Parts: sequence; structure tokens; C-alpha cells
Amino acid sequence: MARFTPGARVRARAADPDGHTRLPRYARGHVGEVVEVLATWSLPDATVRGVTQPEPVYTVRFSAAELWGSGSHAVLLDMWESYLEEV
Amino acid sequence: MGGQTGFGPVMTDDDDDDGQFFHADWEARVYALVRVLQRHKVINQQFDELRDAIERIPPAEYLAMSYYERWLRAAEMLLAEKGLLPDG
Amino acid sequence: MSGGHAEVPVAARVRQLEERLISAGLITDAELDEILTQVYDSASPVNGARMVVRAWTDPAYHDRLLADANAAAAELGFGPGTRGYLLKAVENTPGVHNVIVCTLCSCYPTSLLGPSPSWYKSFAYRSRVVREPREVLAEFGLELPEDTEIRVWDANSETRYLVLPQRPPGTDDKDEEALVSLVTRNGLIGTATC
Repeated sequence: MARFTPGARVRARAADPDGHTRLPRYARGHVGEVVEVLATWSLPDATVRGVTQPEPVYTVRFSAAELWGSGSHAVLLDMWESYLEEV
Repeated sequence: MGGQTGFGPVMTDDDDDDGQFFHADWEARVYALVRVLQRHKVINQQFDELRDAIERIPPAEYLAMSYYERWLRAAEMLLAEKGLLPDG
Repeated sequence: MSGGHAEVPVAARVRQLEERLISAGLITDAELDEILTQVYDSASPVNGARMVVRAWTDPAYHDRLLADANAAAAELGFGPGTRGYLLKAVENTPGVHNVIVCTLCSCYPTSLLGPSPSWYKSFAYRSRVVREPREVLAEFGLELPEDTEIRVWDANSETRYLVLPQRPPGTDDKDEEALVSLVTRNGLIGTATC
């Protein structure tokens, strides 16, 4: 059951995870908007340790202003649910 | 990598436009070697294990290595860690 | 002598590793050759271009491409090369320009675009295009109007993106083959208009 729906505002977790992750540093701690619920896949941080942990993956849109403080573009990232928290 | 500053212009002509994937034969063979190991599930097929190993290459070495050198180093690391190759 | 990596030419290192893996029974030379043949024969930007042109000329295919790009690729015979990931097509419009990157590594839909160019894999591209896409695109000779919204798609291990460029004006009389020749690899990545 996906926790977030399109249009939801979410924050990428700020913590710097140990080990392999697919949460890019530039997104951490920033607020974006869910654009789409993409699929259910195993979290890479777990898979690389030999553990299968399926969870929803979302396309999340971040504004340049939010990420960099300037710019008019948007950056869209696919993020596992574990990477996100509610705002 | 995203957003890091200090990297100069994008070498837009850096294009391998002669249609070659690889600058040298050994690069193609590294690519093929990894893909075969993945097919046999010795290395994870989604590339997470390989990427994780690449990320564990010490930064000074990582920056000095070319793209497929990193693949090679990562494959060597994973095979050693999995104890799959006899010493020597 | 420590026998560290820098002292052995890399090509020799690769062959040594192959031989050890073959002796250990983990791979065979035939398997290596099979991969190399596949890779050289089947991966080309003409594949992506065919999908784009079909979308331009067939509105129903256009909708299918946007809804399920993996299925749309398979319709044109590109299923095997796109099986391992979720393919998404992102459409350029007069107000929106899309560009693709993989900041964490350099994921790329090779079977549809051919070999990824060195610049795509470079630190410069991966670090800068998410931050200053307009400046990066200008370095490719692509100047976009100020009011064009730029969307930068950062692919991860499970997804790959393909840009669906706008059909160039004045091409109504061209047949499919002529249209395919208009679509470039850079257009499919988003560093060119087409």
C-alpha cells in the first residue's frame, strides 16, 4: 500500500545513510512533490546487503529554487518510500 | 555527484562518434565479463553490487581511474569478497 | 615490489581475470563473445528514433508510448534490450524541454540509444546538469527561451528515460525513414532539440 499519492508534499530524508543508497546527496532534506507512484521495487540499500525489501517508488519533483536557492528548472527523481517522509 | 561544483565545461565533443562503445578492446571485455557474471548471478543483475563496490574505491584512486577501470576494480573487489577466486 | 594495480597494464589485468574466472568455471570465452556480439549488433540510437517517429506519425502509439514505454518498445521489437528496467518516455512540448542524467552512476538505455557518450558519463555533466541545465545545454549549442520550463530527470538503477523530441516544423511531407534520420542520440537525451 503506497503511503503517498500524486500531489503529496514530501521531504527527502536528511540523514546520510551508511553504505550504498540511491538517495542523491543534493536532494537530502529537501521538499518536493510526488508526481507519480511508479512501481514496487526492493530498496537498493537493503538489496546490496542481501535483503529483499520491496517498497513503493515515487517520481518526486523538486524545484531548482528549493534545491539550489536559484534557477527556474525542476529536477525529477525516482525515490523509494524509505527515502521520504511527510511534510 | 549532482550539484557538486568545481567541474568545468562539459566536453560536448567527447563523443566516441566513431560508433565505438569502448576506447579499447579491454574495456569491451570488462563490460562482457561483468555481464556474464551477472547472468550467472555471481554479481547482482540490477548493478547495485557493482555500484556499491565502485563507491567503495578510495576517492583518490577513483578519480584517477577511467570508467571501465572502475568496473574492473569493482569486479575484482566483489570476487575477492565473495571468495570466488583462488589466491594467486 | 607490492605488485599493485598500477604496475600491470590494464589489458593484461583484464585477461588475467578472465583466465582465472574461466579456470574457476565461472565464465567461458564463448559467453563473453556472445555478449560482445549482442552489444555491437543491437544497440543503436536508430531504435529510439524509430519509437519517436512512430509516436509522431501515429497518435495511438504516441499515447501508448507515454503510458507504457516498455510495451511500446517491445511493439517495435526492442523488448529484449529493455526488459531489465522501467522505461519512461518524457515528451518535449513548446513550453517544456526535458533532459536526462544519472548523477549517481551513468545509467542509460543503451539498447535504444547505442553506446553512451563519454560526456554523459563525465563528472562535469553529472554534477552540473541538475544544477545549471540551461548553461550546460548552451554548451551543446542549445539555447532555450527563458520561459521554457526545463525538467531534468535523474535516472536510478531501475528506471531509464527517453526524451520524445518535438517534431521539427516543415516535415509533414517526409516519410518514416526520412524522419528517423532527423532524430539524433542527443535529441533522445535532451541535449539537442531533435
